[in-house]
Amino acid sequence: MSQTESESAAVRLDGITKRFPGVVANDDIDFSVERGTIHALVGENGAGKTTLMNIIYGLYEPTEGTVFVDGRAHDFDSPRDAIDVGIGMIHQHFMLVDTMTVAENVVLGNEPTKFAGLVTDERAAIEATGDLADRYGFDIDPTERIEEISVGEQQRVEILKTLYRGADILIFDEPTAVLTPQEVESLFEIFEELIAQEKTIVFITHKLGEALSVADEISVLRDGELVGTLPAESADREELARMMVGRDVLLDVERHSSDFGDVVLETTDLAVDDDRGVRAVDGVDFAVHSGEIFGIAGVDGNGQSELVEAVTGLRLSEGGTIELHEEPITDWSRRERIEAGMSYVAEDRQKRSLVMEYDLVRNGVLGSQRLPEFSDGLQIDWGYTRQYVDDVIDEYDVRPADPGAEAVSLSGGNQQKFIVGREIERDPSLLVAAQPTRGVDIGSIEFIHNRLLDLKTEETAILLVSSKLEEIQQLSDRIGVMYDGELVAVVDPDEVNEEDLGLLMAGERPSGLDVDGARVRVGGSHE
Amino acid sequence: MSDADTRSLPRIVRNHRNAFGLVLAILAALTIVVTVVPGGREVVADVSGVITASYLASAFRLAVPIAFAALGGIFSEKAGVINIGLEGLLIIGAFTAIVTLHFLPETTAIWVVWTAFGLAVLASAVVALLFAVVCIEFKADQVIAGLAVWLIALGFAPFASIIVWENVNSPSFVTFSSVSIPVLSELPSIGRLFVATPPVFMLVVAVPLSWYVLNRTTFGKWIEASGEDPKTLDTAGVSVRKVRYAGVVLSGVLCGIGGAGLALNVGQFVGSGETMVDGRGWIGLTAYLIGNYNPIGAFLASFLFAGLDALQIQLQQIAGYDVSSTLIGIIPYVAVVIVLAFVGRTRMPSEAGEHYESDE
Repeated sequence: MSQTESESAAVRLDGITKRFPGVVANDDIDFSVERGTIHALVGENGAGKTTLMNIIYGLYEPTEGTVFVDGRAHDFDSPRDAIDVGIGMIHQHFMLVDTMTVAENVVLGNEPTKFAGLVTDERAAIEATGDLADRYGFDIDPTERIEEISVGEQQRVEILKTLYRGADILIFDEPTAVLTPQEVESLFEIFEELIAQEKTIVFITHKLGEALSVADEISVLRDGELVGTLPAESADREELARMMVGRDVLLDVERHSSDFGDVVLETTDLAVDDDRGVRAVDGVDFAVHSGEIFGIAGVDGNGQSELVEAVTGLRLSEGGTIELHEEPITDWSRRERIEAGMSYVAEDRQKRSLVMEYDLVRNGVLGSQRLPEFSDGLQIDWGYTRQYVDDVIDEYDVRPADPGAEAVSLSGGNQQKFIVGREIERDPSLLVAAQPTRGVDIGSIEFIHNRLLDLKTEETAILLVSSKLEEIQQLSDRIGVMYDGELVAVVDPDEVNEEDLGLLMAGERPSGLDVDGARVRVGGSHE
Repeated sequence: MSDADTRSLPRIVRNHRNAFGLVLAILAALTIVVTVVPGGREVVADVSGVITASYLASAFRLAVPIAFAALGGIFSEKAGVINIGLEGLLIIGAFTAIVTLHFLPETTAIWVVWTAFGLAVLASAVVALLFAVVCIEFKADQVIAGLAVWLIALGFAPFASIIVWENVNSPSFVTFSSVSIPVLSELPSIGRLFVATPPVFMLVVAVPLSWYVLNRTTFGKWIEASGEDPKTLDTAGVSVRKVRYAGVVLSGVLCGIGGAGLALNVGQFVGSGETMVDGRGWIGLTAYLIGNYNPIGAFLASFLFAGLDALQIQLQQIAGYDVSSTLIGIIPYVAVVIVLAFVGRTRMPSEAGEHYESDE
């Protein structure tokens, strides 16, 4: 695309190329951001967004090309240099020390000092933090500890940190990934306030809707190349999605509403503790029927992970019962549950689903190693396993299509397609899918979603846990919302909008929904 | 105990749950002894009889190596490097102090003993630096490297003693002489507390100073960030490597003071068995765990353990009780297990024991 020379560009990249051994992460990228605007950078995972931003932030040195800030060429050796010219980055994983206070985090590394620079002037730190918070309208107590404040507030502390260091250009890396819809709203209000104070914002996201609603301009990256930059007002979702993926993408999958069969999984008054012994799931009951996708929505950390672990047999429950096909399985081992037809797509695929140094054949037998098809009790039938893995690779479009490839050499999306295939091809009667598309590119997401919908027609019951609201809404036949360890509502996806779901996820009770005692139930009965 | 159970407790009790738990346990034990055990009242009377200013002074003296090791452990572990070689560093300090005296002229001039002290601190710091290099540059497992520090010191010091003195134990040399604080040392009954050797006074200064450094200075906050979230510290433009080196070397310095203080009090290096250090580094480790990485808590725990040790000696000498010293010796370990398992307020720095590699 053409690059117009502009005096008002806050940041301009000229022919940036970054090569890592064997990969071109960024290929000859020209890119510029006008002062006082919001520029969204969209692209699939692995498209090179983060690499590009890390170059601007001085974490990486470009192989070729130049970074201009305010019209001057810069050669950053470290983030320190970038900070010095007014670039700040709000990382996806917050750079905050949990045990320290808001003010201590804000000033870390740039402390106001007294006594010959040895001692942090705490009062000055608290004052500076408070002043900045006031100026941008943040409601934050500088003396609170990070571990005591909410995720949304922590993000504001991250913003304060960059502002304290004098940032004029703020780079946000996937800032909405961990927020509730309401918190996203207030983040966007903060964006407006920052722009009003003449800051410049670069906003990395893969959520097209967000990019369209807040950005002035949108740049699309694909496979390390800049596909194009569009003004947000003249762009639309389909066009952007096509630019990102390089082909047409069906953004809305069709949910076939089928008739549900018998109850496959049922929990009654389930209670589960987390690693610290604190109750994480409290009195949860729900049922999943064959041919049904039961979605569990919620902000991360509200007990979903513990619930999934209890159902799959990775964590002991502290109370209540779990039944599979009307048989109590609460005390069953993981092995017994697998043998009873339970498949599991784990939240953390690298930790729970794959041995990264194993090839796909050996990964393919993981979890099935005692099933009669795979093993005679003493030895694994490698011939059968090999055939099984070949089928999975073939049907689930896993690339590279090489059963001998180590799992670590596959991209996140391909790892996930492989896992989904491995778990589904075993013909489970229950599939537990936790965050099945987290960190997966848009093309693979579409693929996985369609496979889950296909699986419904094969009468499998699916428990889908996701913090992506869109995913839950598109796929689920019923949605359970978890907040603070409780299933606060079970709703019909057609009768609830995103805003109400967001309120439920934040522990609020939206008006207009039927309230039944402590629970909100809308169209929850399919018995 | 979950947070929910204790939410009703006042904040000060919650924040210092280990300390309160320990005090409550001691009070409960005392009550049981007084009311239930036959003759318990007399035992308690005898015990309180031996708790005098001179008893407390000897508890202070016995606390020196334990508390300095504990302070050292805090700095290192808070910075993210678990240093279980404290015991070994104490041995290095003790041995170096005495071997220095061996090679210095035999005089009671004050510079001799201070030179021995200084070289002991230096030697311990150098060994700690080597440990840091192994852990930080070569990414060795910190626990294994720490064990190696102990085992090497445990083998090396008696071996070198045999080379120097043809015996694992050294002959006697000069010791630190006591210093009296004017006026205070003349106070009735508690005056005895203000007559002590220099390491005791150094300890009295080092404990609050350590607290101040960790909680109030910029360096202290960097230490905390380095152990809790090194990546954040790195992105803030502070070198995690340097902070960790500083933490570990400081632990060497503090252990050097502790080891030299121990040996220069006696004027001899004893290399037989577990050497004269005899587990004090390990007790120091338990002390800072019980103190939840707070220098003051760690000191109080060290003082308590040293006090029990002194009590056992005094009871034997004065009141004629024959309490086994090995029984007293296990108290710190039992206490740390109880505190870690049941009181559970100790919170390790999140990234302690993990290597950190900068992306740059």
